[in-house]
Amino acid sequence: MLMHEGGSGGVALPTLGRRLRWVLLAMLICFGGLVVRLWQLQVMRGDRYRERTVSNVVHERYLPSLRGRILDRDGVPLADNRAAFNLYATPKAMTPALRGTLKRLIGLSDEELEKIDGRLATAKKRKVRDPVLLLEDISRERAALIDQERYRWPEVEVRSEPYRHYPQGALAAHLVGYMTQMTAEEARQLGEQGYSSDELIGRYGLESMWENYLRGKKGKERYAVDARGRRLDEATAAGLIDGDRVTEPVAGYSLVLTLDADLQRIAERAVAPHPAAAVAVVEIATGKVLALVSKPSFDPNVMTGHLTKAEAKFLEDDPRKPFIDKALRVPYPPGSTFKFITTIAALEDGQGREDEPIVCKGSYQVAGDRNLFDCTSSHGKLDLVGAIQHSCNVYFWSLAERVGLDRLAEVANAYGFGSRTGLGLNGDAPGRIPTRAWYEQRGRFMIGYTINGATGQGDVELTVMQLTMAYAALANGGTLFVPQVVDRVVRADGATVIQYQPQVKNQIDTPPEILELWKRGTYKAVNEPGGTAFGYATSDLISIAGKSGTAQVAANKAKKDQRQIRGWSPSADHAWFAGVAPADNPEVAIVVLIEHGGPGGKVAGPVAKAILEGWATRVRNRDHGTASGPLVGGAIFGRLRQLTATWQLGVRAAAAPAPGPEDEP
Amino acid sequence: MRGGVGISLPRAQIGMTRWRRFRAAVDWPLVATIVVIAALGLLNLYSAVNGTRHAGKFDQQLRWMFVGAIAFAAFTAIDYRSLLRVAWIGFGVALVALIIVDVAGSNAKGSERWISIGTLGGQPSELAKLAVIMVLARLVSDGAGAKPHWTTLAPKLALLCVPVVLIAVQPDLGTATLLTLIMLSVGFLALRDLWPMVYTLFGMFLAVPILWESMHRYQKDRVLAFLDPSADSTGSGWHTLQSIFAVGSGKLLGKGFMSGTQNQFDFLPEHWTDFPFSVWAEEWGFVGSVVMLAIFAFLIVWLLNIALRARDAAGAVLCLGVAAMTFWHVIVNVAMVLGMAPVVGVTLPFISYGGSSLLTFFIGMGLCASVSLRRHGY
Repeated sequence: MLMHEGGSGGVALPTLGRRLRWVLLAMLICFGGLVVRLWQLQVMRGDRYRERTVSNVVHERYLPSLRGRILDRDGVPLADNRAAFNLYATPKAMTPALRGTLKRLIGLSDEELEKIDGRLATAKKRKVRDPVLLLEDISRERAALIDQERYRWPEVEVRSEPYRHYPQGALAAHLVGYMTQMTAEEARQLGEQGYSSDELIGRYGLESMWENYLRGKKGKERYAVDARGRRLDEATAAGLIDGDRVTEPVAGYSLVLTLDADLQRIAERAVAPHPAAAVAVVEIATGKVLALVSKPSFDPNVMTGHLTKAEAKFLEDDPRKPFIDKALRVPYPPGSTFKFITTIAALEDGQGREDEPIVCKGSYQVAGDRNLFDCTSSHGKLDLVGAIQHSCNVYFWSLAERVGLDRLAEVANAYGFGSRTGLGLNGDAPGRIPTRAWYEQRGRFMIGYTINGATGQGDVELTVMQLTMAYAALANGGTLFVPQVVDRVVRADGATVIQYQPQVKNQIDTPPEILELWKRGTYKAVNEPGGTAFGYATSDLISIAGKSGTAQVAANKAKKDQRQIRGWSPSADHAWFAGVAPADNPEVAIVVLIEHGGPGGKVAGPVAKAILEGWATRVRNRDHGTASGPLVGGAIFGRLRQLTATWQLGVRAAAAPAPGPEDEP
Repeated sequence: MRGGVGISLPRAQIGMTRWRRFRAAVDWPLVATIVVIAALGLLNLYSAVNGTRHAGKFDQQLRWMFVGAIAFAAFTAIDYRSLLRVAWIGFGVALVALIIVDVAGSNAKGSERWISIGTLGGQPSELAKLAVIMVLARLVSDGAGAKPHWTTLAPKLALLCVPVVLIAVQPDLGTATLLTLIMLSVGFLALRDLWPMVYTLFGMFLAVPILWESMHRYQKDRVLAFLDPSADSTGSGWHTLQSIFAVGSGKLLGKGFMSGTQNQFDFLPEHWTDFPFSVWAEEWGFVGSVVMLAIFAFLIVWLLNIALRARDAAGAVLCLGVAAMTFWHVIVNVAMVLGMAPVVGVTLPFISYGGSSLLTFFIGMGLCASVSLRRHGY
């Protein structure tokens, strides 16, 4: 085509004719190079790039599942979901300018900005074009302000999503627990289980333990966006996305507890005057937990995504350790409430008789020990029932000396001390029942240890939950149950998925006459003059049988920089009351511990009485059969909301300035 | 001619002869090729801007096409030899325009390459290419027959380097490079003795480090991003990566007209000016891309063909210059789209949106058509 004019001779530019082949070669190389590159990109790597452009346009986001609720035995919700506004944005869109604008627009605090920056930094390592949760549960006003600007910043989005909510506030907070954002480490580990890093995860209590039942299954939505992150209309999206665009989330299972919200509230109000306390109430016939209190507590609504650093520090600095469950996690010396062990050990071995009189002169000298042990008072001549009634240490020391420490430990172990209750919640502690071998391992055994052990002092330590289960066993003929908190697991539609049956931890064969004797002694302790809890736990409304305990605390000096709590001294005795009601045909067992509260009968007795009276008048006769929804009147709800509000205000107000001395009501 | 039924026959006969003469004179393959490319360009632009706030650009481009077509016809009609007589004047005008841009040009994207006259904006650097080509043609025609004297030629050659420098300081490195490539190509094809070319290339090679040091930050970034686009996938490398994704995702047959997701959903910013081939490749695939490259290759070969058949050396050089300009624009633009060259503002002839570029190519093609028209000499 080009050369038809003949060789270079006929061409006006002779050089062109000569070099034409080089020109054509150069063109061939250049165009050939482009074609080869096109082949490489479009044919060889086409599939990969096609996929890549689809992921440019098609975004995925998870649809949160509705977390299962936690209900009391009558269906009163302790943990529920409510709608909340969550703020999302893509890391790519969050330029410093937009960050500044957002800060001004909704008035972000430094702490919130820090949170946002942290989340953006984590997310940037993954996908910069996928929205991440910046702030959860923002106020309606803030949501409205941001929503107004959605045409300016399509990448910033406010979504209305379910959020964990605890309608009863701090009620049973340690049991129910709370949720928090997962850490980066957890996000990495749990990613395989389908968690996304901006999800909340159950962190404490049942929320944590039953996480896998409660969480349900996330749904997924795929949608199409343009380069600025604006959502494309449905028709366009349908053309771009193959397969299902929406996978519906599956709601989590709800838990129906054995707990009674009314009784729980009664118990929490009963311990309200005390700075630190623990209470457990269980059903004697089944081991079902009706109330479980640990004080001081926290508001799970604040803990779940709204805890400021100041609040966290305030709670962490509290010497009473609000985050440690005092009913399950902390073993305490039980004091005289432990004397049933000594009684049973001695009577079973024939080392004591009910009618054996022992004279208490106010002190006790043990053979082979120089020490003189002081009794609480000089009781004079007492039989065993009288010794229980008056809580005479001398009597029990005398019995213990006969049976020995290891025998006491044997009985204690049978009643579940020294091993975990099996509840498996909040670090449920085994406690400690020392034996001769235990002491010998650590040094020399001395008879004084047996003396201490007989009255629940020294190295004997057990938890409130353990003691409650043991007292229930004393009252039901020797069946030691595993405490039961969850009655059943139900689906969102209400159908029962798993129904839990009472579980026996140990069947103890203590002779009935010994149990009967213990019952008489404890009845007298409460209801007859001279009893250690007489006048304190004595009730006209319900007959109570119980044993008080005053546990000495080993030299426990307050740390210098520790915050002072009024009415709470780390060196004061622990006040205990353990009992059952009604005395003639016991239905519930109760243990009250007032941490560093002082004398057991005087301090813990009235608390137990108040709770049991509340149980007798307000809970026991309620019709459980037809219960659905909250049975509690609006007045109580109002009061509760008021209480939680005050509590929150209290924490926030106290957290704002330098924390001063605790001002407990 | 007067109106009336009676004279319609002679008119038709006269028309027939005129038509024949016209048909014989006009370079129809050239016209057809330009029409095809311009049509593809419009089609592509329609897909690129339809439904966006840039939709008005299609109508604007259509208007420019109309103006360009008129310019093409005008430059075909004018004898290129008379134009070459005023080549130096045109060159002077171009220089003045470039200086005005350098001194007081409106700022578009960090560099001054626009000149605003009323509402119309134009890039003198585009038209400067034509001025340079025409001066080259003039130089060759001046030197034809007589052996060129260095004393007379050297100042003129030095003068040719002035627009390159003026464009480079705008800064518009792409156009400056392109201008250099055009001059080198023409020199390679038109000079009898190639040694000056070798010296020039060697000198330019030495100048690269100096050039690098004097480059703007964003220009360096672009070059670095070209060397490793994934290193900064949200910044400078973004264009290149998204462009590669777009091209690659077209696969063999493309996603179909107006169905390119990269294009339709704005993943390629400004794709109608510098990245139209990316849009094309995404929607028409490998087959469409090769077809478009083939049409461009045919256009360039045809321009070379006109150069071979030109009646004088000046006409041949004119065509060579326009061919080189077209060639380098296509190669650099497509290489950039395919991630083989740094992102520089080099347009794709007749496909890219923009009046200056369009007008430059229409006039350039008009010049070639003029050369073709007058190849037989009369």
